Amino acid sequence: MEHTSDNLHVKERLEDHSKEREAAAKRRRNIMNNWVPPMITFLVFLSLWQFGTQWLQIPVYILPTPTDIIAASIQNSDRLLASATTTILESVIGFVFSVVIGVGAAVIMASSKILERSLYPYAILLQTIPIVAIAPIIVIWFGSGMNAIVIIAFTIGFFPMLSNTLIGLNATDRGMINLMQLYKASKWEIMWKVRLPAALPYIIAGLKISCTLAIIGAIVGEYIAGIGGGAGGLGYAITVASTTMEIPYLFACGIAASFLGIAFFLLVSLLSKVLLGSWHESEMNVEN
Amino acid sequence: MKSAQSIVQEMQPEEVEETSIVSMRQVSKVFPNGYTAVENVNTSIKEGEFVSFVGPSGCGKSTIFKMISGLISPSEGELEILGESGSDQQQQSNDVGFVFQDATLLPWRSVIKNVMLPLEFQNLSKAEMKEQAEEVLELVGLKEYAEALPRQLSGGMRMRVSIARALVAKPKLLLMDEPFGALDEITRQSLQSELLRIWESQKMTVLFITHNVFEAVYLSTRVAVMTPGPGKIASTVDIPMPFPRTDKVRTSHQFSDIVGKVSQDLKF
Ligand SMILES: Nc1ncnc2c1ncn2[C@@H]1O[C@H](COP(=O)(O)OP(=O)(O)OP(=O)(O)O)[C@@H](O)[C@H]1O
Ligand SMILES: [Mg+2]
Repeated sequence: MEHTSDNLHVKERLEDHSKEREAAAKRRRNIMNNWVPPMITFLVFLSLWQFGTQWLQIPVYILPTPTDIIAASIQNSDRLLASATTTILESVIGFVFSVVIGVGAAVIMASSKILERSLYPYAILLQTIPIVAIAPIIVIWFGSGMNAIVIIAFTIGFFPMLSNTLIGLNATDRGMINLMQLYKASKWEIMWKVRLPAALPYIIAGLKISCTLAIIGAIVGEYIAGIGGGAGGLGYAITVASTTMEIPYLFACGIAASFLGIAFFLLVSLLSKVLLGSWHESEMNVEN
Repeated sequence: MKSAQSIVQEMQPEEVEETSIVSMRQVSKVFPNGYTAVENVNTSIKEGEFVSFVGPSGCGKSTIFKMISGLISPSEGELEILGESGSDQQQQSNDVGFVFQDATLLPWRSVIKNVMLPLEFQNLSKAEMKEQAEEVLELVGLKEYAEALPRQLSGGMRMRVSIARALVAKPKLLLMDEPFGALDEITRQSLQSELLRIWESQKMTVLFITHNVFEAVYLSTRVAVMTPGPGKIASTVDIPMPFPRTDKVRTSHQFSDIVGKVSQDLKF
């Protein structure tokens, strides 16, 4: 008797094992499907670039090869790291301001139709002015340092936050608001318990746009305002490298900037998974 | 002067007035766009009744419920709920529960947190809130799903959560606006029996909107038949069948006779 039940257990365990293995294999297949094709594209692109420029004998000051760029990054790693740190700092501060002020302004506008009608047009107006046109003015007002750059990064990231949050707050399901009115909830209770959580997917969509814009804003700001802080950020390094004709280093700075953007975006996506994963369609692994 | 007048009115020897939980006198609702949704509605609902409102789409059933719950106010006429006129209803929010046509759960909250929502507007401790919420979840048979999220539930289960949320504040009056409209017939019938069981045990008054005459007759002590253009109550039909009503009631002669009568009234 015992023997057979033991056997059963073993069999069950074996089945469990095979199920696990199947799941692991599925995961592996998923990784293969999602990551391998773009990796191959990337490698093909890199080798075309590397051997193409060598074969066509394109001079370094026109188009350096990937190995040139890597060498320049390693050689100047101290400078590159310092510049990247400055840019990260500026764009993160600018981004935080655009999130806080953007969401705050949206909450205020959403709580009063009159305020929305009188303020929103000017927010749009602010958005339509090209950043390179107001950047010099900001530099004149706030000095050619970190302050101006943070403000430029903020200005460019602010509007997506504002408009996304506002759309989200105004799109809240009527039924949920009726429900809250039934309980005699105050305007702010409705905002806090229903409208803001309901707007979260929209807010996160805004975050995803603003986070990469903040880096662009910081780099444009450095371009115009100069040093910024410490050794100057990536934008400043780019202007310097182009005047001193350090072309591989120029490329290294540009690539570092786009890596920053990607890293920033991935971080926000991670946040989105954490915040929405359990309940919102956009982040669910829906099986249907 | 005014208060004296109202005392005189209350002392009028009409028994209906004394025990009625909802009373409407010549109530009309004209929306800001000029559309008259309901006109001259008179009705009086006694404590402990189960009254269903049936009528074609657009005849103003939801509008009446919204006025009773205080979400909108009547343009004309007098509306009294629990003995208070519509305008001083402010303090009474816990006495009226409302179940909407769709469950209207907050998708980011777990089942129990959804049920606790109405209690968050009262002065209760977290432990008390949790206890009361668990009690009503037990009542609707969803205790094991307390921590689940709404999206993990079926439509019928979501409706039960919505009913639990309306019951948690122990309302004297429960308004249900087509709560089972989106459910399949089997789920619908089991929820109907469940609702009757809860109604009998909680001793409350239920007002119920439905398009389904069978549903109305099975559940109610009285059916109000509404007609459109502009919406009014054309007739009320008493359902003299005893409670508790079993499933056998659905196939009885008396049942089909009453269904026939209500359907007849609907056609006018
Ligand atoms: N806010 C509003 N403004 C203008 N008209 C409205 C408004 N709400 C409802 N109505 C109109 O009033 C009428 C009655 O609406 P109501 O929602 O009460 O109907 P109903 O009987 O509940 O219908 P259904 O069975 O389809 O839910 C409809 O013709 C509708 O178009
Ligand atoms: Mg309706």
